[in-house]
Amino acid sequence: MRVNNIPNVRTCIAPLTEDVTVETQDTFASWPKETHNTSATKADACTVDVLIVGGGPAGLEAAVQAAKQNAKVLLVDENQQLGGQLIKQTHKFFGSKQENAGTRGVTIAKELEETVQDHTGIELLLESTVIGFYEDTSSDYFTFAVSKRKGYESSIVKVQAKTVIFAVGAMENMLLFPGNDLPGVYGAGAVQTLMNVYGVKPGNHVLMVGAGNVGLIVSYQLLQAGILVDRVVEAAPIIGGYHVHAAKLRRCGVPIYTRHSIKEIIGSDHVEAAVVVRLDENWQEIPGSEKTIECDTVCLAVGLTPSTRLLSQMGVKMYTIAEAGGFVAIHDDYMQTSVPGVFVAGDNSGIEEASTAMIEGKIAGVAAAIQTGKTSTKQAKELLDIFASELASLRAGPFGEKPRIAKQKIQTFWRKNQ
Amino acid sequence: MNEHADVVIIGGGVNGCAIAYYLSKLGMNVSVFERNYLGSGATGSCGAGIRQQWSTKENTELAIQSVHMFEELSDELGEDIEFSQGGYLIINHTEEELAQSKKNVKMQKTLGLDVSMVSVDEINDIVPVLDVNGMDSVGATFCPTDGHANPFKTTFAYAHAAEQLGANIHTHTLVKDIKTKNNQVSEVLTDKKSVKTRWVVDAAGAWSSQIAKMVGISIPNKPFRKEVLATERLEPLFKAMVISFKDGIYFSQQPEGNIVGGIPIPEQRSGFYELPTFSFIQHMSETLTRYAPALRDINMLRHWTGYYDVTPDARPILGEDSKVRGFVHCHGFSGHGFMLSPMVSRMLAEYISNDKESSVLKRLRLNRYEDEDIDMEQNVVG
Repeated sequence: MRVNNIPNVRTCIAPLTEDVTVETQDTFASWPKETHNTSATKADACTVDVLIVGGGPAGLEAAVQAAKQNAKVLLVDENQQLGGQLIKQTHKFFGSKQENAGTRGVTIAKELEETVQDHTGIELLLESTVIGFYEDTSSDYFTFAVSKRKGYESSIVKVQAKTVIFAVGAMENMLLFPGNDLPGVYGAGAVQTLMNVYGVKPGNHVLMVGAGNVGLIVSYQLLQAGILVDRVVEAAPIIGGYHVHAAKLRRCGVPIYTRHSIKEIIGSDHVEAAVVVRLDENWQEIPGSEKTIECDTVCLAVGLTPSTRLLSQMGVKMYTIAEAGGFVAIHDDYMQTSVPGVFVAGDNSGIEEASTAMIEGKIAGVAAAIQTGKTSTKQAKELLDIFASELASLRAGPFGEKPRIAKQKIQTFWRKNQ
Repeated sequence: MNEHADVVIIGGGVNGCAIAYYLSKLGMNVSVFERNYLGSGATGSCGAGIRQQWSTKENTELAIQSVHMFEELSDELGEDIEFSQGGYLIINHTEEELAQSKKNVKMQKTLGLDVSMVSVDEINDIVPVLDVNGMDSVGATFCPTDGHANPFKTTFAYAHAAEQLGANIHTHTLVKDIKTKNNQVSEVLTDKKSVKTRWVVDAAGAWSSQIAKMVGISIPNKPFRKEVLATERLEPLFKAMVISFKDGIYFSQQPEGNIVGGIPIPEQRSGFYELPTFSFIQHMSETLTRYAPALRDINMLRHWTGYYDVTPDARPILGEDSKVRGFVHCHGFSGHGFMLSPMVSRMLAEYISNDKESSVLKRLRLNRYEDEDIDMEQNVVG
């Protein structure tokens, strides 16, 4: 979209203000009409002890802990609002009291946001994206370029950091099928944003693809919003999410079809129907089992892939670990990667839950502060041990099995590389 | 098992693959060894421009002949290399530069090039978005037959055509050593196999000196990291490549709409530095928006680095070595390897196959550096 003569504006995340002209843009951006020559300005710059990339549960906790240990922290997030995925999580959390069980994600986000905003040691850079890792021979610190949006314009900020914590989360997986680019096909994250953050109905008649926790919870939230959920299809032979979420859906009359997947979408400029198909034991489509379902919305809740591109660019050692969701950085017990001073926390170090992401963030925050030399090592190390045992107890249950395997593999690779 | 090849080519960039093609066409049995993938070095990271406006006669001649070959190349190789001719617009900033341009244009015209001086008022007829005051321009030169092509597609087209003629191309194969017998190349050892041969072509780009060292030859080339960026897509508006020797900038609009260009950073140093620099972002955006202010709010999409293999006179080192028989130099292109590749590769193939050495080839041998006077190429950007 074009806003106030500026092309390629991502209007889905840009706040709307008074007196703006918003125009649609087809494929190419047209050249900006205004061609006056303004004198170039030098990029803004800042230097910090700990740069935290991503203001979701892991990043927020990391910021709080690092700042508590006297480190000067910069927290960068591409959205206008802090909290990451928490702000769309209107459901209550499971787990122990300590880890906010019984509290809704959106409430946790609000509390963390207030703590972060009140802390003088934390500087915030919202609506900003860390776009790359760069060489700067004039400094021993890590140098990053950050694209900072102000209104609909953007500028580059040079950020130099002694240590960095990547808490950028994950990207939603997409499926390949004819029609997957039509309006009406959403990722579950987008559906949650529309409903739970903006209060906008994504459609009226939904086919949900994926019966993991996200698929089940979002289906229930769609029902709560008065939207018809036709059915949930799941390619695996079993339901991946918690039984309690599945049971809730079934009580409302929404069937869950395992060993079923989406084959294609019918419609020319928007979703009019979807064709689902049954799968055999080898996950192959069974010919003749196709069924056409009338719907205007298809929601894909088919897993997440850790966002690791900046880590790759920094030369951090990485491995593909299926249980972690793909290519992830290996790290030590305190979340430090193979590049000293570079830490990870949350989904980008293996797909898991918000509750574990928060503890990983706490560990990374303290560990990074220790690395900067801003804190007393003994006291901080005790804190690390407390967080580590909390993390272990959270992962001890049956639903912690996958991340437990993922983290064991990360540990094995880590030791092999020492 | 000991294999044999008439010629072993080290380096699977555009020149290595092109030489493989022309040699195969001349009936020779060729093996190419590339330690990474085809086009993984300078070829795949280059700005893709093809220019004939040079200050030295050798480069101009090679470039004119290369353009004639580029014009036919898609048909000859049977694959589209996306060659198009939108011209090169060279911006001049001082009277001194204008005088040099006039000299160059005169020389280039004697070689048959369609090139002309352009007044300040005519610049926007060729590229509308340029700010002549911002660029501090006093004039320009324009050659409409300059252009660009897709370096990956060109390299792959050469490689596929060479393979069809029987060439063996081995990617992900590292050359470990080259054996000689009585100052004559005899064998190439790789991490996978050994090949007996009487000819080795060093087309390893920035890593050429490591190959030359294997036979005891020292070459004066130095690797320099160069950076390129691509912006978001904009409506296709101009076809010419815009360059300035004073500012070192070059940029053009790709058929897909992205503006692609580069500029040297002030604190440039030789070495295998791989990371992009923050200095480049600052320098490139300052200069680019001075040239084309409309780009002010356009985001950069990608930024990558590659190496120029730079010689003391910014001209390539070509031909058989005078001390080690059978060792053929094909490196030191100083940022111009892609655009010169068709003609250079064909000449080297003809030399190896038929002992035919053109006068241009003679003048670009390594031993030219033993002379006191070397003709320095002035027209360098990036």
